[in-house]
Amino acid sequence: MSPERPVRVVLIGYGPVGARFVEGMLPAVLAGRVTLTVIGAEPDDAYNRVLLAEYAVGRSSRERLGTTDTEAALQAGAVIRLGESAVSIDRLRQTVRLDTGDRVPYDRLVCATGARANIPTLDGLQKSKRNRLTTLTSAATLDQGAEPLPAGVVALRDLNDANVILAAVHKGSRIVVLGAGVLGMELALALSEQGADVVAVYHGPIPMARNLDEGGGRVLSRAARTAGVVMVPHARAEGVLLRTPDDGPSRFDAILCADGKQIQGDLLVLSCGVSARTELAAGADLRVSAGILVDEELRSWSDPDVFAIGDCAHVLAPDGHPIEVHVTGAPSGLIGPGWRQADWLARKLSGESSDPLPAERSGIVMLKAESIDVVSGGDYTADLWNTESEVTQWLDPARGAYLKMVTSNNVLTGFLAVGLPLVGAELCLLFERGDEPPADRTALLRLDSSESATGSSSDPLAPEATICWCNGVTAQKITDAAESGHHDVECIGKATRAGTGCGSCKGKITEILARATASGNGPPRR
Amino acid sequence: MASASDQAGASHCPYCALQCAMTLSAGPEGRPGTVTVSGRMFPTNRGGLCKKGWTSAELLDSPERILHPLIRQPDDTFAEATWPQVLDLIADRLRESRDRFGADSVGVFGGGGLTNEKAYQLGKFARVALGTSRIDYNGRFCMSSAAAAGNRAFGIDRGLPFPVEDLGAANTILLLGSNVAETMPPFIAHLASARAASGLIVVDPRRSATAKLTAEGGGIHIQPTPGSDLALLLGLTHIVIAEGLTDDRFLSDRANGFAALRTSVSSWWPERVQAVTGVPVHQLREVARRLADGKGTYILTGRGVEQHVDGTDTATAAINLALVLGLPGTGRSGYGTLTGQGNGQGGREHGQKCDQLPGYRKITDPDARAHVAAVWGIDPDTLPGPGVPAVELLDELGRPGKVRCLLVHGSNVVVSAPDVAAVRTRLEALDLLVVSDFFFSETASLAHVILPVTQWAEEEGTMTSLEGRVLRRRAVLTPPPGVRSELWIMQELAKRLQSSSTFSASPAEVFDELARASAGGIADYSGLSHHLLDTGIAAYWPYPPATTGTPRLFQERFGHPDGRARIMAVKVRERREPAHLGGTLTLITGRLLEHYQSGTQTRRIAELVTAQPEARLQIHPATAARLRIADNQIVLVENARGRVRATAEISDAIRHDTVFLPFHYAGAQCANLLTESITDPNSAMPEFKRTTVLVRAETEAIR
Repeated sequence: MSPERPVRVVLIGYGPVGARFVEGMLPAVLAGRVTLTVIGAEPDDAYNRVLLAEYAVGRSSRERLGTTDTEAALQAGAVIRLGESAVSIDRLRQTVRLDTGDRVPYDRLVCATGARANIPTLDGLQKSKRNRLTTLTSAATLDQGAEPLPAGVVALRDLNDANVILAAVHKGSRIVVLGAGVLGMELALALSEQGADVVAVYHGPIPMARNLDEGGGRVLSRAARTAGVVMVPHARAEGVLLRTPDDGPSRFDAILCADGKQIQGDLLVLSCGVSARTELAAGADLRVSAGILVDEELRSWSDPDVFAIGDCAHVLAPDGHPIEVHVTGAPSGLIGPGWRQADWLARKLSGESSDPLPAERSGIVMLKAESIDVVSGGDYTADLWNTESEVTQWLDPARGAYLKMVTSNNVLTGFLAVGLPLVGAELCLLFERGDEPPADRTALLRLDSSESATGSSSDPLAPEATICWCNGVTAQKITDAAESGHHDVECIGKATRAGTGCGSCKGKITEILARATASGNGPPRR
Repeated sequence: MASASDQAGASHCPYCALQCAMTLSAGPEGRPGTVTVSGRMFPTNRGGLCKKGWTSAELLDSPERILHPLIRQPDDTFAEATWPQVLDLIADRLRESRDRFGADSVGVFGGGGLTNEKAYQLGKFARVALGTSRIDYNGRFCMSSAAAAGNRAFGIDRGLPFPVEDLGAANTILLLGSNVAETMPPFIAHLASARAASGLIVVDPRRSATAKLTAEGGGIHIQPTPGSDLALLLGLTHIVIAEGLTDDRFLSDRANGFAALRTSVSSWWPERVQAVTGVPVHQLREVARRLADGKGTYILTGRGVEQHVDGTDTATAAINLALVLGLPGTGRSGYGTLTGQGNGQGGREHGQKCDQLPGYRKITDPDARAHVAAVWGIDPDTLPGPGVPAVELLDELGRPGKVRCLLVHGSNVVVSAPDVAAVRTRLEALDLLVVSDFFFSETASLAHVILPVTQWAEEEGTMTSLEGRVLRRRAVLTPPPGVRSELWIMQELAKRLQSSSTFSASPAEVFDELARASAGGIADYSGLSHHLLDTGIAAYWPYPPATTGTPRLFQERFGHPDGRARIMAVKVRERREPAHLGGTLTLITGRLLEHYQSGTQTRRIAELVTAQPEARLQIHPATAARLRIADNQIVLVENARGRVRATAEISDAIRHDTVFLPFHYAGAQCANLLTESITDPNSAMPEFKRTTVLVRAETEAIR
């Protein structure tokens, strides 16, 4: 290879993380140091999957989901091949084979293949489930299984799914959401906020069980019920019942639960988690577990020229993991770390960065909903009475508020906040920066108290309150002036300058004068 | 039309950019001590004044006034000298430096408090009489980011492109990083209608006096962590777009660049913004929806969001938000930046900036050079090119091959610049430091030569207010015998330096020349004169001849050649902030009602200094408790650059991760001992509003 030839970088996957990577590579592409080819299976431009639920319930439009400037990338000279899927990687020849039969050569390969929705094991959906053991050639088939899902059943993963849900919202259909993880709850709440008839069906006693404890989960589920979502806990779904109308193919009718309960609806949305798309990597003998295994520099454990970022990447130091041992952990599934990986790798492959990629702390999970604020981060499981860490808890079900925070060595290591928006926002910041929370924990709780919005003094005419901002005159000074014989606003102005600035305090001065006069009839003040 | 006698003494306040109208009456003998100040009816202040304005005349007969030129002696005392002596000395030293080390070995540092005439003449003096490119001014510390943002979005930077009283009809006013209730109190009268409509939205890490105006149903106070304003604005823009609240007709008819903006804010959904700013999602949505209600919305920015390394981008994001909502140039809504210094607007238009010529022209533009050189009667090729902005200029002082002599006008850099300990070292390395002032400011006390100059009530001139209105300043007193106007000083020095152009000492003549030099420029004053201004007209620039000026800009078109505004997508540059552990906190700085800028003036007024005698560090009670700091206890605020000693003021008005120091004090109380000289890449504005410090009690409280 001649040193002058630009490095050929090939990116598989054009989701939000891939798009971010492309953006970061453009300076190097423009400078001619790198050629960039992007392979995206979906025919559309990259869009922001984080906002897909917003689109699905009709709160956003397609163009508002745009997350990348494909035009700019094309102008810079990047090659973007949408609607083409990578079907195999030939690591020996360093080429990617596409479903069109084309082969794209690379010097560095970046996988940003993301994750796909899980299809749960339910009677009636078996044939739609993917079979991990069969080799399939199309990305769509990999995602959707051998047979498409029955009509009236979707997993919210792409624009097509979102369009199905949107149509159901418009028709006023009853929508059953199976799974009450963060995505399921977001969708259920968004749907009900848009006036849809929604049922959330979940396995355990509380929603968002992976991100909340019992207190938080119960406050959330109460809030969701108040918001109009029918919450169905302890529902072990076993099958899907279909009905066959006279005028068309069979479609979803109800979920059948282990206890015999049937939950009827017009549309079933599966929200049962996601799994990294690793088949392409596995097929090329790259080591995978819950994701493509990459080291702290995002480089595949198995091939120094292959990288992975975002939802398909499982970042872990390779040492101490012999091939036969099962690797634990999983990709975070959060967009923030994915973007940071994309930015860092783009700098690295552009030859700009030598700084190590900062290690990610376990992320913050925030429920996107208008009717309730839910946020959690880190490890909040510590027992209230344990001696290793400090735990603070506040539970107020009647007012829909719950807080738990865990600190170790004065640093916030885990937290939950439900129904306490300002506290939640503040805890996010504290956690992200590794800050020390206020020693007086009630200072945090007071953020959401009604008093903090107006200041600690409830009486705007209290003696120490500033009445005239322009001249820094307090109520006490005005009272004193009144007591020494200044009885109208103008005299007060001459004596204290109060009211001689913008004049907006003259009303208050009149009030103080009235009070002073009234009290003048009684015993002397002070 | 007002008669000449009505106008006698009709002047404006010597302090901030609101330029409150006041009437000055001198006693019969025309000497200080007998001057009285009274408020004068005017749209900006409606006859009112703040504490600073009411007490402003006290300085005219201050016993601390410098009344003779002073020359530093070998024993570091100052000796009085005559004007011919000092002028000869300065001219000789400047000439010598220029001959030995080149014209750029002489620098000039101006101020945003100088009249238009002085600011203009100073730029000309530097480029023509000294032939140096090394001129910049303290406005770089306050207005340069908003100016850069305004220029790139609108093609014109006029702080408020509408008269201030337009705000009086607003339903919603978003005030970002501005504490007007303390910095320009009479301004708050213009917030009354928004407050009555519960529509005053104040963004400030402190519950400042201004933020308190949102209480009792006045509106919303948003309290983000310092330095997160850009993310906040991108988040608001995201919500506006996501919820379909954009003004699509405005965007298609009047602005370019929306598509790229939409893409760029797509990644700033509200929950992500919450995690970065500490502002809960529901507040973000409430604010976005309120801004979009179409009943008259103004977005105003101040130093709090601008004095950052991403200040230009933050101001741009505020403008972008205004543009997607279709606010600017509509007559009932808009965007503006609140200029701070008295002539912060005029001072940035007429050539004190290192890259600028009068009329807001670019010094690199050949047509601009030709035009201005023709007015000055010189060959355009003799004009120097662009110099370096303030922070860089201060860093050049006394370094080999750089600036060796500095003239300072209307600025107290060893209190007001970032990292003042370093600035002091640089000033001490100079061959010659000449400071024009009326008091021994901290900078003057380092000078080799001090030139005593006139105060506001002793001079004629013009100031341009925060709304771009040119105002007359009037002399009611004869200056003390040993005191001179800076115009006269420049004239005398230019003569001694055999300058190729002329320098008038008459403010009216200088103004006429300024008007000609500005003709055809962005800030065009060519239709104005002192005489015309004396008729009492409302002179909003641009004011070409035979027009009546421009109270409202952008009604038909924006300032770019195609008449459209430019939306420029901006990005958050992620910075890992140090954890707030132990006493590590974020310092923000700002002003107090009683003081003005470096305090050179207000620290000499008994009433003001009694009310606010010393620097107090505002700190949250929970943070103070953790650090075992008691109220009124002495605390030390430190970092690698310096240490400030201040009194603790425990207050729940500030965020628990943030502390606040006023920047008016000198010595060990000088907040700028701590600030860093890193600057915005677009505007060269330093980051005053986000400094990492360590706070501790001087002696730990006993528990």
